[in-house]
Amino acid sequence: MRRWQLTFAMLALGLLSACKPPPANDASMGELMGRADDNFAKVTPNQALKFPQDHLAHPKFRQEWWYLTANLTTDSGEALGLQWTQFRIALNSQAPNNHSAWASNQLWMTHAAITTASSHQTAERWSRDIQLAGAPAGVSGLPLNVWNENWRWQASATHDASNPNDGLLPATLNVSDNEVSYRLSLTSRAPLVLQGDNGYSVKSADSKVASYYYSQPFIQVRGQVKLHGQWQKVSGQAWLDREWSSEFLTRQQQGWDWFAIRLDDGSALMLFQLRGAGASTPFFSGKRSWPNGRQNAIAAKDIQLQATQYHSVGAKRYPVAWQINLPTEQLQLEVTALNANARMPLSVNYWEGPINVTGSQNGTGYLELTGY
Amino acid sequence: MSSFGLSWCALKVYLAHYRQAPLQAGAILLGIILAVTLLVGVKATNDNAIHSYQDAGEALGAQASLFISSKSRRGSIDQQLYFDIKAAGIAAMPVVSGTLDDSDGKPWHVTGSDVIAAMSALTHHTDPHAAAKVNPLAQLPLVRLLAGEPLIVMSQSQFDAMGFSATGQHQLLLGGMALTAIPLPDSANLGHRLFLDISVAQQLLGQPQQLSYIALFGDIETLKQQLRASHIDLKQVLLTPQDQGKALTDLTASFHLNLNAMAMLAFLVGLFIAYNGVRYSLMKRQRLLIQLMQQGISRRALFSSLLAELVLLVFIGSAIGFVLALQLSQWLQPMVAMTLEQLYGATLLPGQWRWQWWAQGAGLTLVAALLACVPLYRSLSHGSLAQGGKRYLQALAHHLTHQRLFIIGIVLLLLTALGYPFSQQHRQSLALLGLLTIAIPLLLPQLLQWGLALLTKLTRPGLWRYAIAESRELIAPLGLAMMALLLALCANIAMNTLVGSFDQTLRSWLSTRLHADLYLHPGSDNIAPIERYLRQHHPELVYFYQWQAPYFAAAGQIQPINLIGRDDVSISETTVFKQPATVAGQQAAVAQTIAGNAVFISEPLALKLKLQPGDSIALCGDSQCQQATRLPIAAIYFDYGNPKGEMVVSPPLWQRLSLPAEPIGLALGHVKAIDTLTRELEQQFALNPAQIYSQQRIRSQAIAMFNKTFSITLVLNTLTLLVAAIGLFSAVLMMTQSRQAPLAMLRALGVEQTRIWRMLLVQIIIVVLLTCLLALPLGAILGYLLINKVTLQAFGWTIAMLWDWWAYGRVVLLSLLCAIVAVLLPLYWQSRRSLVSSLQQEVM
Repeated sequence: MRRWQLTFAMLALGLLSACKPPPANDASMGELMGRADDNFAKVTPNQALKFPQDHLAHPKFRQEWWYLTANLTTDSGEALGLQWTQFRIALNSQAPNNHSAWASNQLWMTHAAITTASSHQTAERWSRDIQLAGAPAGVSGLPLNVWNENWRWQASATHDASNPNDGLLPATLNVSDNEVSYRLSLTSRAPLVLQGDNGYSVKSADSKVASYYYSQPFIQVRGQVKLHGQWQKVSGQAWLDREWSSEFLTRQQQGWDWFAIRLDDGSALMLFQLRGAGASTPFFSGKRSWPNGRQNAIAAKDIQLQATQYHSVGAKRYPVAWQINLPTEQLQLEVTALNANARMPLSVNYWEGPINVTGSQNGTGYLELTGY
Repeated sequence: MSSFGLSWCALKVYLAHYRQAPLQAGAILLGIILAVTLLVGVKATNDNAIHSYQDAGEALGAQASLFISSKSRRGSIDQQLYFDIKAAGIAAMPVVSGTLDDSDGKPWHVTGSDVIAAMSALTHHTDPHAAAKVNPLAQLPLVRLLAGEPLIVMSQSQFDAMGFSATGQHQLLLGGMALTAIPLPDSANLGHRLFLDISVAQQLLGQPQQLSYIALFGDIETLKQQLRASHIDLKQVLLTPQDQGKALTDLTASFHLNLNAMAMLAFLVGLFIAYNGVRYSLMKRQRLLIQLMQQGISRRALFSSLLAELVLLVFIGSAIGFVLALQLSQWLQPMVAMTLEQLYGATLLPGQWRWQWWAQGAGLTLVAALLACVPLYRSLSHGSLAQGGKRYLQALAHHLTHQRLFIIGIVLLLLTALGYPFSQQHRQSLALLGLLTIAIPLLLPQLLQWGLALLTKLTRPGLWRYAIAESRELIAPLGLAMMALLLALCANIAMNTLVGSFDQTLRSWLSTRLHADLYLHPGSDNIAPIERYLRQHHPELVYFYQWQAPYFAAAGQIQPINLIGRDDVSISETTVFKQPATVAGQQAAVAQTIAGNAVFISEPLALKLKLQPGDSIALCGDSQCQQATRLPIAAIYFDYGNPKGEMVVSPPLWQRLSLPAEPIGLALGHVKAIDTLTRELEQQFALNPAQIYSQQRIRSQAIAMFNKTFSITLVLNTLTLLVAAIGLFSAVLMMTQSRQAPLAMLRALGVEQTRIWRMLLVQIIIVVLLTCLLALPLGAILGYLLINKVTLQAFGWTIAMLWDWWAYGRVVLLSLLCAIVAVLLPLYWQSRRSLVSSLQQEVM
């Protein structure tokens, strides 16, 4: 689910205007992201997702992302978190009226981060969509190839009909930047998890806004990460989210708190709350899944989230520790950030970092906080 | 009372005096204001331009560290190379640029790029506080730009300058496409550039899938490492590091030096006015100062009070001058920008003001004013207490001073003449010019004395002889203003001569250089298909080719040049030779060069490297000159096209140097219907007007462009003349006012009012005309030096000197007009006063 709100936040908060590329003010970001354009494709229920085609881009929708978070350990035992996200942003539902391959109505934005207990490195790439072979950024396949400059997710062909991730995994993920560099091999035999109702993920109580959303929470990772200037071997687990939509948030929604947790019993827990304005009740959603394909949807009334500790980064205060109670799942969890300073100071500012989980079960995962 | 208290008292008395005679303080202030305005105005313009060279980044982007361009000049590179560089993770920006004509045929330089790449590049240079600032790029209509809508982005200043703000009409027809103009705040550092999205730029410039160059960002060594590691084939392209504007600063040094010299001249003229004002006010206060001393104010206190008065006047004058200078610079900047952009390809960014300029202007004025006035103050405050109106003694002193000045002037003139053959450098020649500039006004008072003495003898006795004889007495009070006028007149005559001569030289040079009817620059890839088509459909045409590549020439020092390849006919028929001078020598040089055994070099390059025909020169493809091809120089040719060095070689030599085989330009001769063929080619090969030029169009554009080279100096010169005219006006005004008493006496003696008026007019007209007459030979000498030394050495352009009588007549008329108005005005005032009150002036 989730990251779409990032792009919506760009529109709502005009955040891009405050910093780097491509900076734009509220008015032009309104043009960029939110020009009243009803001609984008709509997200409707009962549309079965089709694989492997749905791993590719859906340019008729306004926004989309390929979002990977990983909890890894170096050979020396140091815990770290790692993020890679490629966003596709459609500026207009209409194709450009200019025949040049450079004329475009799509942008690519990619974020990458490496977070340890003591450091948090981030990087960003922006490219315009160019309809030419060898263009600096895009999505192609299958097997899936997602790239922005020299950052690339490249899946391998398996020719194995029994692989539930055919076209998506196995894959390599390479990111190279002054601040953030890693080379990872990703594999999984677990089936994909269709979030919400078979991939139709509602984002408001009145069901007016929704997205298509699926995940792969059970990815095995091996590879190398550049830490403190040295390449180090790492291994661990990663979580991939795929989501696309044309309208993500209602006007009243302020931001969200999103949890992706892998528990020691092997299950994966996805939870989010969308915070409304003032003291209004947040909109909750959650699902617990297992590598064997078992899934438990968690009803909104059965989700209790309570922030227990706040931490200031820059001018913002983020809730970096949480108490989670899920009575139907018999789970009482305490969540703490590996590094409370894990704010992403990029074109869009948000908090995203690895977390440790204790309580009725132990585990690790990722937390994302926006709209603060 | 302490010395300080006494000085303070004296100062208060002066203030009261100036309240009575505001014209005196006004004249001093006017001189200081004008001097500081022109000095600081030009300094601000120059400093801003030089800073622009250092700071200018890519359009909408940061300053690049490395550039990748085609080895062939004006050649393009495939955009695939840009994609490969991006795929290697290197921060880069694609740029396609060129010239497009508007609906009136006026050419505009446009830059096209990917706005996302440009803004991404900014991250490499964003300062930590940037986030807090309002980003000017926020106003970009990103969606429409990326969609390839016909938009053209420019700075607000440029938007205003092009008249879009005033008319409300935002459409610009360029290359046949109607583009909507979008203004961005000047802080976006677009300067005078016109920015297009790359999707539109490639189409308009007829360069689909091609780039003019790629700008790379980041640490230069890291970039080189990344390029090596990427294994991208860079053999066919040129890598040029960012030089922080060094090449541009070097190239434009002469231009800025000339501007500074003009500013100093204007400053000098302004100071003349101020000094004249100080002298006049002292003359009028002589009695007052003596009275002050008689009442017990010590000489020291008097001296320091006069000094304090001067410092105060300089402070006030320079503060006002500074404000006006900022305005002047605003006004000059677009003109300078146009010259610098068209001639040198520089980009000027919006300027910033520095308080140091005011400090420098005020400091220089103060030092100059103190140097000029302290002796005057000393002699005054050390004068005898019993000193009264010893006019005869004063007149005697003036005569002596005039003679001394004349002798100094003659010595300086002789020094200039002696130095002339030895001055080989632009700076040395400017120093000679400075000597001459000082000598000219020094000669004036004595020459005026002699001229008027001669005229007196030639005039019949009576009132007219009295009038002319009395004119000699005017030389002392008017001397300084006349000196300033003479200086400005000479500078103006010299500058007009230079510009007029240059225009003629350029026209005749273009006649020889432009031999074909139609010139095509369709991009290297298009030349072969166009030629095939033309040979098939227009067999009567003849073809001329041109190749160009950035190269280096070494002879003592290594100099970047444009290496030009020309076909045999172009080499033999369109070269305008400087050396050798004989036809036989030129024929031999042509034969030698066509055979590929020698080269022609342009006059600017020959002067820069001090080369003669027969010398040898090394040609190198790299800036270190590691692999050099050494060849003799067969000839030196005139080149008014650019101040950068150029070298012409024949096709066989071009091939031997392994340079790109495709020509960049094709010229067609024997074209019967130029317009028809132009249209045919435009349609057949989708050429835009920037790619196809008729001889007529090149000629008119070249003349228009190169004339602009001098537009800024011409403007400064006119300003200097205006300053001098104001000086003359104020001096004549003050003098005529001071003569109210003797004139009233003449009236009391029965001379008619109209006769007095006529007498005064004739007196001033004679003095001004004599000054203008002197300006004729002196201005010609100055012009000769300007043309044959300064311009030749600064730009490398030999110009045949032509005299322009009309321009001379104009400045004479202007001076006369100023003088006449300045005489008539106080006379008109006087005619409104009673005779008695005018007579009383004598006592005051």
